[in-house]
Amino acid sequence: MSKITVAGVRGTVQELLDYSENTKKRNFLETVELQVGLKNYDTQRDKRFSGTVKLPAVPRPNMTICVFGDAHDVDRAKHIGVDAMSVEDLKKLNKNKKLIKKLAKKYNAFIASEVLIKQVPRLLGPQLSKAGKFPTPVSHSDDLYGKITEVRSTIKFQLKKVLCLAVAVGNVGMEEDQLVTNIMIASNFLVSLLKKNWQNVGSLTIKSTMGPSYRIY
Amino acid sequence: MRHLLPATSQPLPNSQPHLLPKQKNIFEKSWKPTTSASEIRQLLYFLSDVGRSILKYFTMVKRGRGTVGESQIIDLQVLQDRIRRQPESHKDEFLGQYQHYQSLKEILNLNPSGFGETEQFMKQINLIAHVCVVYPSETKDFADDLGEMLVNHHTAIAVELREKMVQSLVQLTNRQVITEERLIQILFPLLPTTNSKVFRKDIYTTLVRLLKNANKNTRAPKLNKSVQTLLFTLLESSDGPAAAPDGLWAAKLTRELWRRSIWDDARSVEIMKIAALHGNTKVSIAGVNFFLGEDRDREKALRKKRGLDSDDSSDGMSSDDEDGAVPNVGEIKHKVGVNKKTGKRARKLENAVKVLKKKEETKGLEAHLNFSAIHLLHDPQGFAERLFSQTLSRSSGNKYTLEQRIQILNLVSRLIGVHKLSVLGVYSYLLKYLTPKQRDVTQFMACAAQASHDLVPPDALSPVIRKIADEFVSDGVAPEVAAAGINTIREILTRNPLAIDQDLLQDLTQYHKSKAKSVMMAARSLIRLYRDVAPEMLARKDLDKISAMEMSANARAGIENKKLQYGVENVVEGIPGLELLEQWRKEQGLDVAEPGEDGKIVSKDDGDDAAWNVKDADDEEEGWINVESDKEYEVSDAEGDDDKDSDDEAQDDDDDDVDSDVEENAQVKERATEEPEAKRAKLDPMQSLMATRILTPADFQKLEELRQKAGIDKILHGSKSSTMTRHQDTVDANSLIGTRSTRADKDERMDTVMEGRKDREFGSKKGKKLDSKPHSTTNKEKARKKNFIMMIHTRDIQGKNRKSLRDKQKSLKANIEKQKKYNVKH
Repeated sequence: MSKITVAGVRGTVQELLDYSENTKKRNFLETVELQVGLKNYDTQRDKRFSGTVKLPAVPRPNMTICVFGDAHDVDRAKHIGVDAMSVEDLKKLNKNKKLIKKLAKKYNAFIASEVLIKQVPRLLGPQLSKAGKFPTPVSHSDDLYGKITEVRSTIKFQLKKVLCLAVAVGNVGMEEDQLVTNIMIASNFLVSLLKKNWQNVGSLTIKSTMGPSYRIY
Repeated sequence: MRHLLPATSQPLPNSQPHLLPKQKNIFEKSWKPTTSASEIRQLLYFLSDVGRSILKYFTMVKRGRGTVGESQIIDLQVLQDRIRRQPESHKDEFLGQYQHYQSLKEILNLNPSGFGETEQFMKQINLIAHVCVVYPSETKDFADDLGEMLVNHHTAIAVELREKMVQSLVQLTNRQVITEERLIQILFPLLPTTNSKVFRKDIYTTLVRLLKNANKNTRAPKLNKSVQTLLFTLLESSDGPAAAPDGLWAAKLTRELWRRSIWDDARSVEIMKIAALHGNTKVSIAGVNFFLGEDRDREKALRKKRGLDSDDSSDGMSSDDEDGAVPNVGEIKHKVGVNKKTGKRARKLENAVKVLKKKEETKGLEAHLNFSAIHLLHDPQGFAERLFSQTLSRSSGNKYTLEQRIQILNLVSRLIGVHKLSVLGVYSYLLKYLTPKQRDVTQFMACAAQASHDLVPPDALSPVIRKIADEFVSDGVAPEVAAAGINTIREILTRNPLAIDQDLLQDLTQYHKSKAKSVMMAARSLIRLYRDVAPEMLARKDLDKISAMEMSANARAGIENKKLQYGVENVVEGIPGLELLEQWRKEQGLDVAEPGEDGKIVSKDDGDDAAWNVKDADDEEEGWINVESDKEYEVSDAEGDDDKDSDDEAQDDDDDDVDSDVEENAQVKERATEEPEAKRAKLDPMQSLMATRILTPADFQKLEELRQKAGIDKILHGSKSSTMTRHQDTVDANSLIGTRSTRADKDERMDTVMEGRKDREFGSKKGKKLDSKPHSTTNKEKARKKNFIMMIHTRDIQGKNRKSLRDKQKSLKANIEKQKKYNVKH
């Protein structure tokens, strides 16, 4: 595949959706992920990149979020219907590694109110950042609901030990157009992060959780 | 038939006479006359062979050099040769030899230090090692015996014998008689136990070579894994301050294999991790040094290899094509342009380009997938914590010297910085060392900078900064000290800009008026940093035009300035400058109209991928590339206009649909409040381009250009990512000191000298008087300028040579006196 076109992506998305809607319908909402293989990327010379981009449509609506907050934020969170923990709750964990690990596993992302976030490393130790789930700050003036959707719709590209990475860009319950848009934004952004842009991209593949993978580049 | 025996019937040691009759029996039995035709044929063949060997023997004797030993060598070699050809018929002979070897082995085992038959034994071993493939069942214990002897008696036996044994074992491994693992199991324990340097080196090189050869064409994961397991157990079993050598060798071997890129997996990194945490100082420092220096090591090795490779390839080329030996494309191209155009010359250019391209490709292949060891670590948090608590905490006492502590601290801080760990003890530990009088304080400062990252709570880091500011940056200190202090603070703040409060920052920035250049530069760099990350923390007068205007514009519009917040990761968000590209496209009338055209461009570009790669390699090729890329642009432009129009329109419609859909969705979702909607509207134009087009290489190039024009890159310092993600993993301690006033070079010094001489007069009055008017050459001048060769035989010169020593001394003394008088006078 030497080039990538909008029409091509659209075609593949249709195929993908068709497979998971009609051929083999699953009992859960399948996630669509974008898998990237890089090439000609010297991990020592080129800085390993990381970047976040906000997608117009929320790729994982079921993402679980927990709010660490002071009294005000805990109230707001409860009002919206999101799990929340206060400082006392965090102190109860008592820096117990297992409990913290469990907490980190339980939620996909964390939000902490501004006053509290500075204490998070001391209260919870390294476990959260180790899992890549360091909380996002929210202030009292921010809209908590907006913040939560923002966190839900933001995807993060981060290169780890291998030259490939994958991000969730949508799910099969989404409209075709939404999916195409998400994929295009994600891939454009990824390419813009790379030093030599398209020359660093080995392959782009989209895949639903249980379906086959489709190569788009 | 008796004469056959010299090969086997050497004088046997007196200590075991019972072996002799046994051997005789074998031979008598084997050479019983037989009647079968095949046996007779064999016998005949054998006899002719024997005749040949007798001839050889006699010629040796005739030459007068034939000693018994030599004849034995020859005989054993002959035997070896014959066995290879006809293993079956020589089996008994071989068995005789094997028996003899075994008896010698017994003797050696009884008294290794007094073993006198070394030479004989070596030959036997040599023979058996060479032919044991042929008789696998008979010699199945041979390798084990060798290993056993080596392990038990390697200190006592002769050096040659020891070498022979190792050599034979390697030979056996090459012939797959024993596995590589077995060989390593035999050899590795010898490394730490032997006290012979030569032997150690021998074993070490053998091991490295073995692993290198095993991994030459394809990786040998099984072998690597088993060897790594062996090293693991060695390291773990030897843990303790007393047992160093085992672990040290394990670390050394791993480092060597890593350097040669034979091992580059996480497992070998894990070995070094265990080494670094080893109880023994030497081993742990070896482990730490590996992590600190491995990149450099490997880079060096790679560069060396590449250099050699290029030599090789050029050599190879020179044999068949003298012109293409060194593919200097520029030169060849020039020749093609200047000389007559022929097919041959064109071909030459083509070939050169091909060779070059291939080289570049392989270069890229070699370079990629080189993760440095620090990145491959499993559980860096645990490693850093253990390293810190084990080695640097108070309980470890003075086990480590200051240098070693610095090395360990360097590694810990690098781990923290790279993996964004939280080891909060490090910062308070550092406080103790951050005073100007501390030895190697710049190293500690570099560590402090490395150990900071954006997830460190600011209240952990601010004491460090406060301490540096108090100790290093004040009016009383030397400029180098102040510069080092400010530079360190800047390095820390690059990584974590929240760690300082406004007052301290503004205090520090006032040093930009310092008279010392290094201090001034350091303070300026601090200001520059904060103009990027948090202009609101600077004093108004320190702002530059762009950020000041931005701030005031924001203030007018009532938008709050983007404030730094802890926990917001400093990563790139969105594509900076994308709105510029969109605007440009609108102006050009391209709009979002023809996305299909770009697909075309992509395909064009891909064809020239390699050419693009070459672009940033060497200067000499650049000219050639530039031409190419220019051409390419023309092509893409030209084709973009007329191609794929129908396709475009169809897609265009689609895209518009997407757009409106997106907006609708957005509106549906944003039922909560009005604020986010405004935000969304602000975001939209940027996202629309991203969402509807695949950005092509050409787009990215244009984007870069536009960004430069708009001055965004001035803010971003010419890089794609922002300053905050731009910092290096490591901080060089020397760079913290800042610019030092370097000593002037000769030219500069001469300039100042000449300036001082301007108003002074040199030379004698008489000379100047003469110089002031035109005159002919004086006799003195003529004599001075006369060619020496012409004067060499004159009495003046010859006389000087022939003077007696006394006369010479006299004239020398007189000369010195004269000089002294002259000096006193002036």
